[in-house]
Amino acid sequence: MKAMNYKACVCNLCGTGCGQFLKTDGQKVFGVAPLIAHPVSKGKLCIRGWHSNELLSTNERITTPLIREQGQLRPASYEEAIALVAERLTQLNGEAGEIGILASARSSNEDNFTLARLAHEVFNTRIQGIGAEAGHRKSMASLEHAFGYPGAHGSLTSIDKADYILVVGTDITRQNPIIGGNIHAAQRRGARVVTLSSSRTQIAKLSTKHYQQKPGTKGLLVNALAKALLAIRTVNHDRRANIDLLPGYAEYVASLRSISSVALERASGIRYEEIEEEAKHLEQAKSIVILFSSGISGLDRPTIDAITNLALLTDRMDNENSAVIPVAGISNLQGSFDMGVSGELGNSVFKALATPDSPIKALFAIDHDDGIIRDKARIAELDFVVYSCAYKNAFMELADVVFPLPAYNETDGTYTAADKRVQITHKNVDNPHGVLAGWALFQKIAKTMGHDWQYNDTASVFNDLAKHTPGYHDLSHAQLSKGFGQHWNPKAFAGYRQRKFNAINIEYWESPTTAEFPFALMIGKAQHYWHQNNLMRKTIVPRREYDQTLWLYPHGYIEISPDDATRLKVKDKWLVNVHSSIGTHMKIAVKISPDVQNGTAYIPYFIKNMISDFLLPYENAYAAGEESVVPIKIQEA
Amino acid sequence: MYILSSHEIKQLAQELQASHEVYGPQVDPQTQQVFFDQLTDVAALNLEAPIPSMPVKEILFPQMERILKYRYDSEAQSVTMSKQYFEKPKVLFGLRPCDLSGILVLDRFFLGQEFVDDVYLAHRRQCLLISNTCLNPFPQCFCVCTHSGPDADEGFDLDLTKLQDGYLVKVGSEKGQALADAHQWQLASPAQLSEQKAVVDHCIDLFPEMATDNKAWISRVMNRITTGFVKQETWEYIGDQCLECGACSFVCPTCSCFNIEDTQTACGECERLRMRDSCSFEGYARMAGDHNPRQPVEDRRNKRFFCKLSYPQSKKYLRPGCVGCGRCQWVCPGDIGLPNVVQYIRREITGGQN
Ligand code: SF4
Ligand code: SF4
Ligand code: SF4
Ligand code: SF4
Repeated sequence: MKAMNYKACVCNLCGTGCGQFLKTDGQKVFGVAPLIAHPVSKGKLCIRGWHSNELLSTNERITTPLIREQGQLRPASYEEAIALVAERLTQLNGEAGEIGILASARSSNEDNFTLARLAHEVFNTRIQGIGAEAGHRKSMASLEHAFGYPGAHGSLTSIDKADYILVVGTDITRQNPIIGGNIHAAQRRGARVVTLSSSRTQIAKLSTKHYQQKPGTKGLLVNALAKALLAIRTVNHDRRANIDLLPGYAEYVASLRSISSVALERASGIRYEEIEEEAKHLEQAKSIVILFSSGISGLDRPTIDAITNLALLTDRMDNENSAVIPVAGISNLQGSFDMGVSGELGNSVFKALATPDSPIKALFAIDHDDGIIRDKARIAELDFVVYSCAYKNAFMELADVVFPLPAYNETDGTYTAADKRVQITHKNVDNPHGVLAGWALFQKIAKTMGHDWQYNDTASVFNDLAKHTPGYHDLSHAQLSKGFGQHWNPKAFAGYRQRKFNAINIEYWESPTTAEFPFALMIGKAQHYWHQNNLMRKTIVPRREYDQTLWLYPHGYIEISPDDATRLKVKDKWLVNVHSSIGTHMKIAVKISPDVQNGTAYIPYFIKNMISDFLLPYENAYAAGEESVVPIKIQEA
Repeated sequence: MYILSSHEIKQLAQELQASHEVYGPQVDPQTQQVFFDQLTDVAALNLEAPIPSMPVKEILFPQMERILKYRYDSEAQSVTMSKQYFEKPKVLFGLRPCDLSGILVLDRFFLGQEFVDDVYLAHRRQCLLISNTCLNPFPQCFCVCTHSGPDADEGFDLDLTKLQDGYLVKVGSEKGQALADAHQWQLASPAQLSEQKAVVDHCIDLFPEMATDNKAWISRVMNRITTGFVKQETWEYIGDQCLECGACSFVCPTCSCFNIEDTQTACGECERLRMRDSCSFEGYARMAGDHNPRQPVEDRRNKRFFCKLSYPQSKKYLRPGCVGCGRCQWVCPGDIGLPNVVQYIRREITGGQN
């Protein structure tokens, strides 16, 4: 037997991209260790990272290509399965929108790049999308407008040195715990950490200052902070690096001026005087880091615009320790965008699936690891569905052809973390079933359909993608193998440094709650480290933690404040009926939490029927992510 | 006591490799991280490497292991089972004294009480322990406060101390003596014995004041924790900083908690896995009927410190449950490694003055 030892790689379970060692003998994974020299994680991992070995040891793997025959999936050879895919997809017209691609934000850059080629050059389709992309698209659009390129400004390592850190919304110690830990460490070394969040999250408790605003007003508060900052500037006549010459400045300032302190306080529950105090701290700071969540539970566009505008207005964004980072919950969300598999407006696969008379007839999907499959009924009705994944999963039931994929440590691959850090994971375990890597599978399909790409290995795919992807030009596997990754280079974008303010509108958010539906229900508080992530269900200890909540609250729970519980005369774990203003209904247990404001209620993301029966009909709420509010009433069951 | 040259030490490792799996500290060339791992080539053995990043308990109590396989034959209605852990002669070469103490605590837990854990026993039997005195403390160490370093005083088969010239070798067991006799090692001179003492004293002097100063405080904190006098607010302050990652338990040389799960590998065939667990997790203490005596995070955190620093626990282990390696401080994404918790409780006792 080969001796076991520790091999360095990158954790693939969220967009932080922590450094990790896997203890392997080349066949199996036995353990995990954190990587001390990693610049972001510095020898720490969260519960997910510490249990990667459990995920990577699961027996719930897809081991061979499968073809559906008389309703059942049966094993098939690659040749047979690929021939079938080629035959069926050749009959369809990609250009006419008959073939859709559903990419995965967990796939490597190499896999996503070749998938994009397969879609565009071989299937001739642009109908595509990434699971979980909704929020990130808005972050990218706003950042590109503000900074000239679609990606984070600055690095996650800035947290360790910045004077001032603003966390907008995200329950970061749950979603990206190691970033949360770094923020906490920054607070301890004296940085001012400010959290804007309508509930008292853990990071709110660990912050220097928590503004617990009313729901739906994060953007307004960020704008108010900008107004207060501007006021200090005006008084000081302290003109900075021509911020006022940036496009959009005049309109932005005019909008800010229209903020009324009375209306602000009424809408958000926060007094403008407090914001003025805060602005003084912001003005003092030399380096500023702003973090907000992106992806499924991301913010809405006006809130992100408020954030990027404030960042520009501070005039500190050229400091090497300043940053604006959309924090992704999934490992390669940023890379997937970079590789061009996101659904451009008008070409979104989600739109195609949701529109009843759209021409889509076939779907080519990768790694759908969420428990909830949107538009499931439509997918089931499609003529032909191809699905590739490392792990067994509900999506297989919808597929006509299934391909296995290697796990993240069974093949070389690069992943781009939330702050654009591109990192490589080298294969450290053989796939026991000898399955093809994603790029090799796509290359084979392309070849059968008449396109010869001639990639020899993952590194050659990377060389090609580096040539074709802005920002990636200077990178290669050889070089990424030397250290702990490298941020892609924003200078590759033509608009680099052409900073612009986003147009904003000051709106005093009116709560949609009414006398009949008095509670503002919010989704997106990640109670259990993940959303509907099926990967965690393939571990042992984290799954127990997840089930622990389900056991206590088998139908899920709704969090309300102790005062509201008293008013409703309910106790913890009692069942209540929750009715939304559009008529959806669910029966759910109450969880009483002092961290929740009166009049607000939270349900976590991860409980399936809550989302599919109750929220999905609420299309906008689901799409708007963390800032969405559903008016509800709560009654004794 | 004997004196061996560096070359003889390497030779010993090499020789033992013929009959044993040899484990020892080695430095990962890419990341410079130290692991106490199996040596394929003894040239990689680095006795001067800093404290290994993961505790040596890995070898005796792996993070995850398959302990049993069983198959149900539905025709014959019979079950066949086979255990999946095997005894192999091993040498743990160059243990830091804190890791050695950790093994002694695990021995008490797995072998020394009403139950004997067969899996641990299989890994532990035929295990030769060779400790290695620390010449200088590493940044997070505080073994001087927990009586577990910088030199080892019990539990080893052989104990090494690097002197100016060669290694002083102490014998701690019959197995160790047999090795010495077989090799006819050179006896150490009285001067070398006093040099060894000086090396240890020098190392103790190098401990930062905080660590040595904490010594008395650790006893006071143990008293407080045992008698339940730590204020709820202090535990809450600590609990608020816990990100519930489990790292502190995974890297602690004395943490012994594990979880068991059977998973199906094929139709009719199962394997039993045993993997580490941590009291920081909410599901860890959950009982039937939804009762969870330790649901709030602060109650789970004080459990850990009770385990490490209370008298009843020390009685069980015959020493404090913490061996002062400082790894929990290193891996905690909060700020609640054990030395810090001692500080927090100390602050509570003094009312904020130090
Ligand atoms: S924070 Fe993310 S990348 Fe880091 S260990 Fe946890 S899941 Fe992995
Ligand atoms: S409690 Fe911390 S310092 Fe003490 S032995 Fe365990 S890991 Fe080491
Ligand atoms: S109870 Fe906690 S501190 Fe004690 S051994 Fe178990 S995991 Fe470690
Ligand atoms: S390492 Fe720190 S954050 Fe993680 S479980 Fe232990 S005390 Fe909590």
